[in-house]
Amino acid sequence: MSNPRFLAVQSCYVVADAPARQIEALRRWDPTKHRELKIFLHSDLPANPTAANFEKLKNAPDNGPVRAFVAATQKLSSDLQISRDEAKKISAGGGGGGAMPAPVAAFWTDVLTTRAKSFASSGTSGQAPYDHTGKAIRASEELNGLLREQEKIRRQFSGFLGATGIGRGAGSLAPELYWELLDVDDQGVVTLGASYSRSGTNGSYQAADALYYASGGYYVALTLYQMWPVTVDGKASTLVWRGDMISAASLGSLHGVERLGSESVMMKNISKAVTLFRRDTSGGR
Amino acid sequence: MWAASLFLGATATFAEESDSWFKSILPLPGEYVAEETYVGDGDVRRGPHKSVRDFDENDSILQLVFTPRIKLGVLRLGAAWERFSFGFPGNAPLPDNLQSVNLVIGLDTQLSDSILIRVEAQPGVYNTGFDDLSDDFNLPFVIGGTYIYSPDLQIVLGVGVDVERKYPVIPAAGIRWRMGRQWVLDAVLPTPRLEFEMNPNVTLYAGANVKQTNFRVDDNFGDAHGIPRLNHAILSYSEVRTGAGLDWKISNVVTATGEVGYQPYRDFDFYRANIRYHHDGGAPYGMISLHGAF
Repeated sequence: MSNPRFLAVQSCYVVADAPARQIEALRRWDPTKHRELKIFLHSDLPANPTAANFEKLKNAPDNGPVRAFVAATQKLSSDLQISRDEAKKISAGGGGGGAMPAPVAAFWTDVLTTRAKSFASSGTSGQAPYDHTGKAIRASEELNGLLREQEKIRRQFSGFLGATGIGRGAGSLAPELYWELLDVDDQGVVTLGASYSRSGTNGSYQAADALYYASGGYYVALTLYQMWPVTVDGKASTLVWRGDMISAASLGSLHGVERLGSESVMMKNISKAVTLFRRDTSGGR
Repeated sequence: MWAASLFLGATATFAEESDSWFKSILPLPGEYVAEETYVGDGDVRRGPHKSVRDFDENDSILQLVFTPRIKLGVLRLGAAWERFSFGFPGNAPLPDNLQSVNLVIGLDTQLSDSILIRVEAQPGVYNTGFDDLSDDFNLPFVIGGTYIYSPDLQIVLGVGVDVERKYPVIPAAGIRWRMGRQWVLDAVLPTPRLEFEMNPNVTLYAGANVKQTNFRVDDNFGDAHGIPRLNHAILSYSEVRTGAGLDWKISNVVTATGEVGYQPYRDFDFYRANIRYHHDGGAPYGMISLHGAF
């Protein structure tokens, strides 16, 4: 990809059951069961999120990445991906038990609630830029940039993506919203995501999963799925093509073999997630 | 406070200007090194009675390698120059200069999502200067693999091949282990080191630099020093530096490094002529370097 902060890999695999059931399994899958995926908290959000939907943040685990996340918040680190207006709302100081002091939890609850509501009403176009320090980064521009560099993929999914809020205003398809607390390079990160799916001809499906906000580590990430019904050993199965794309500032400083290495790590991580998903949903081939 | 703000502002401006300057003059992605090391007075000895004492050393390196992406992986095409200059006293039977001028031709490629392979040859002239380049050609090369066990742990295996070396094939192994958010153990030759990332732009490290290269001395070197069998002989030069340093990432494409330490080992070995000056006294050293990738 010509933009140095973009990275993308594609994978293909077969899973048991028809595409419709796979979509349902993806919806239900709980990645927090697998420690190796480094997702500490995952919570689904309603169509109209409120602060109460982020209550779990107060119960964040006490570990190195979460402590680093809290420390970065308390000192308003330049690595935090927030807007200038959001940065003004932070109140220093400790207080509260557990790994996540109350003022830190309250700050992030406010940021996440506002951004999730904004996505529900205006798609990624309504997201405030990351302009707390440095240049303004906009989620919509990053997502569209990722797709622009992969013309065949963009063309294949253009009709479907046009009905979503990914890279544009709110679409006609209803998103399934969620938030997560995860570990990116030993740094805790809160992220907001939205999933969409739509059935196509002959039992096929298209799906998209966009991480349209992250407090650090990466700007945005997008996973697209194309699923076709196939029969393997006489059983209904699904052939899945999956395209994963990510935009991250840290990728921009990688060159040569370092970039090859980061591609390998991304492939390994995707392969790990796919393997665990197939194991959980049983009967992968 | 004002001065610090001005300095940081100037640094940011320089960073942006240097990034765009590199990208404007160089058509392909690549990496570069410009490095200078000064080693203080050290000693070497041959047998019980012959020694060369109190000589210093300058080691200068320039390297530019383009790293364009192709379907197979990342090509490595460039050139490198390294020159050791020694301040030998009087008629020491060792060359004042050792120099390599070579191309870099290599490929980094993915064998699978866990294995990266590097094949790199450094064909060039390895001798004592630009006077006589007639048959001082050599073609050392390395073949290595990195097994990516996880994002935090990689295992490196490889061999270095040089037909002019006493032992032409030397295997090597190492690991790169990210032990924590700020600590990295990069135990891979030729520069094993333990790194501490103070912040995204400053890394402190302690480690070593192991060097061994084979050079051919000129046709009359032996006659000039009263040992005719050293005419046009192969000299294996080895040294080890141990020290601590600081990498300062000035911009995405410019990193400045300063390092100080002690050189505990050095060896001049005309192994085919069976004449060897081995280490007899170490010396402190200092190194500065500008390097980066664009």
